[in-house]
Amino acid sequence: MKSCKIIVVLMVGLALSWGLFLSTAAAKPIKIGILGPMSFTQGEGHWNGATMAAEEVNAAGGILVGKEKRKIELVKVDTNEFLSIPDATNAAEMAVRRHKVDFLMGGFRTEAVLVMQDIAMEAKKVFIGCGAAHPQLCTRVLDDYDTYKYWFRLTPINSSYLGKVDFILLGTVGHIIKTQLGVEKVKVAIVAEKAAWADPIVAAAQKVIPEKMGMEVAGVWRPSPVATDCSAELSAIQRAGAHIVFTTFSSSVGLTFAKQMGELKVPAAPVGINVESQKTGFWEATNGAGNYVLTINTYAPVAISDTTIPFVTEYRKRFGETPNYTAGTHDAIKLLQVAIEKAGSIDSDKVVAELEKIDYTGAAGRVVFDKSHDVTWGPQYVTSIGTQWQDGEIQCVWPYNWEGVTYEGSKPYQLPPWVVEYWKK
Amino acid sequence: MRMVVAYIRRVFKILRAEVLVLPSRVAVLVFIAAVLALPLVTQDYYILRIMILTSIFAILAASWDLLSGFTGQMNFGHALFFGVAAYVTALLNLRLGLPPYFSIPLGAMGAVLAGLIIGIPCLRLKGSYLALTTLAFPIILMGLVFAFPGITGGELGLSGLKKLTGSRVADYYVTNVLMLVLGGIMWKITDSNTGIILHAIREDEVAARAAGINTTRYKLLAFCLSGFFAGIAGGLYAHFMRLAGPSTLEVGLSFQVIIWSVFGGMVSIYGPIAGVFILNPFMEVLRIFLDNFPSLPEMRMFIFAALVLLTLRFMPEGLIPWLRDKVESECPRCKVRNVFFRRSCRICNAEMT
Repeated sequence: MKSCKIIVVLMVGLALSWGLFLSTAAAKPIKIGILGPMSFTQGEGHWNGATMAAEEVNAAGGILVGKEKRKIELVKVDTNEFLSIPDATNAAEMAVRRHKVDFLMGGFRTEAVLVMQDIAMEAKKVFIGCGAAHPQLCTRVLDDYDTYKYWFRLTPINSSYLGKVDFILLGTVGHIIKTQLGVEKVKVAIVAEKAAWADPIVAAAQKVIPEKMGMEVAGVWRPSPVATDCSAELSAIQRAGAHIVFTTFSSSVGLTFAKQMGELKVPAAPVGINVESQKTGFWEATNGAGNYVLTINTYAPVAISDTTIPFVTEYRKRFGETPNYTAGTHDAIKLLQVAIEKAGSIDSDKVVAELEKIDYTGAAGRVVFDKSHDVTWGPQYVTSIGTQWQDGEIQCVWPYNWEGVTYEGSKPYQLPPWVVEYWKK
Repeated sequence: MRMVVAYIRRVFKILRAEVLVLPSRVAVLVFIAAVLALPLVTQDYYILRIMILTSIFAILAASWDLLSGFTGQMNFGHALFFGVAAYVTALLNLRLGLPPYFSIPLGAMGAVLAGLIIGIPCLRLKGSYLALTTLAFPIILMGLVFAFPGITGGELGLSGLKKLTGSRVADYYVTNVLMLVLGGIMWKITDSNTGIILHAIREDEVAARAAGINTTRYKLLAFCLSGFFAGIAGGLYAHFMRLAGPSTLEVGLSFQVIIWSVFGGMVSIYGPIAGVFILNPFMEVLRIFLDNFPSLPEMRMFIFAALVLLTLRFMPEGLIPWLRDKVESECPRCKVRNVFFRRSCRICNAEMT
């Protein structure tokens, strides 16, 4: 009798454990590896954007794969790519082989992304790039489609388009100075941090500004990326009679430069790339002296699409800052959801076929991939935006009547009042 | 058949008389067997990747020891050899279509040339002056890499190289067997007459010169030999990663080599190899372990630094010499090493004190 009871208990236990196993197997989550330098702002952006999207999708029941809804499980993969490329590749390999992720997204440093891309392609995993801008990542798709077809770049727009936007912003401000202040020949001071990535922009600016934009180059200044004093450069720029300072900063020098420029009231309008000024803490860090700084950006509380303002507002509420472009992992997960649901499968080849056809409007704009699997840039597509600090608020000032595009909530660009006062004399 | 039996008997005799008598030699034997047998136990891509990179860096660390440990030419810019070879290998593979078995040795020859170029101006310098000068060379080369992006690929480097071999297991055997063979060659060099001369130069260069040794030639030889072995590592790295980028020249890599070597134990060749084989997989074990604690992102580097610092505090000669001294002792009369529990020397029978 006693042995009978034991057998019954064992069988019930076995049945329960099988039931539990089958139920978990049925609801097997879709694993997405988020690759990024997690100790840095860029990696935090990757993770924060992805977390928000995964929570939203999971709250709605998950992704519909065929007839079953599957939740998203994110795997945080710290690539440490700023410090070590082998570390980044080991992390990516671990995500693919150990965590057995179904999809990958993120990446930042191009040199690391190139190798991580190879790892993902070898495993035939769809990898959505959200950080590296170099065109070569996508030209690989054209050169060897069968190998690299699993790669897509969602954000940022590639560096050639970034350059275009950069010069459009410069041209816009140049035009305003010409028309509002009556300046005939606008002088531009090119100021770029001493870093390799800025070199092609400086070279292009030196050629394009005088030859195609009808403006004059007042000089080129290359401060250290970590300079803590730019007063010498600013004095020289003022003496050179520049109306515009064309900035190319991704490091802390952007903060120093903007702060001192505002404090010294240098009579020139700062325009270009200043990554520091994309951050919410920029206003406090410059004590308000960073007013009127204009930079290329990805997100601002304007209606690029219906989802932009809710995303930016929620992101600010949760993480206390405006999302940077690596938070594009939010859009990446959402569009991946669309592709998976249309494919009815998480099979990489089927998802790739759907991603190639996708026309999805996310928080950063309308996403359509071109033949090289790069996000399409232009009016009616993802445009990127120009944001300016105006009295403590980040305002979207571009596109503003550009090719018929103005995002709802955008404000007109404002010249710094001391620039107007100085040059009107 | 008799010949074979005789050879086998001889091997067993050597094993019993020369290898099994000392724990350090047994450890080396076990290490070699473990390295060769690993793919039979697991073919996990992740584990094999880590072990491939570990073996490549082990060659690099041992080559640093050959130059800086044995010859005393303190090189703080060892990444130069690694980077030069990686770029030369990549250029030969991408531009001329040379396969890895040609591009890697030729890349290593490029590193030898780099060894000559930096060796000649550095010959007059010693100590910290030499260290600082060598530190400057990879930085200069990095500047050149950015200055000529058409050739070097600039910030991106050169990517899309041919794979080292067709499979991960084959990659593993190529890199690990090369590590064992090159490690053995380096160890034999240090054990040869040339090695003794290099040692003498480190201890007292004036005395070595007074003994009629052309120290200049030998120092240059050390730079070239070290460059060659580091170059092989650089070439293997370029083909395995399919990329030769500015990261191969970074100052961080040069310092990493020194950390591995000092941690494992300088002036031994096997010390740096052991240092890499302990620290590199250890970082990955930490990654897996800390995966369960996502709120501790910085702990990995902290634990690594603490481990290295503690090791150097309590084992200033490095981990491997410290361990070796614990399990083996030197005969006071004939200087032959014996296992620590022996009361009399295995060779001269002198009493071990």
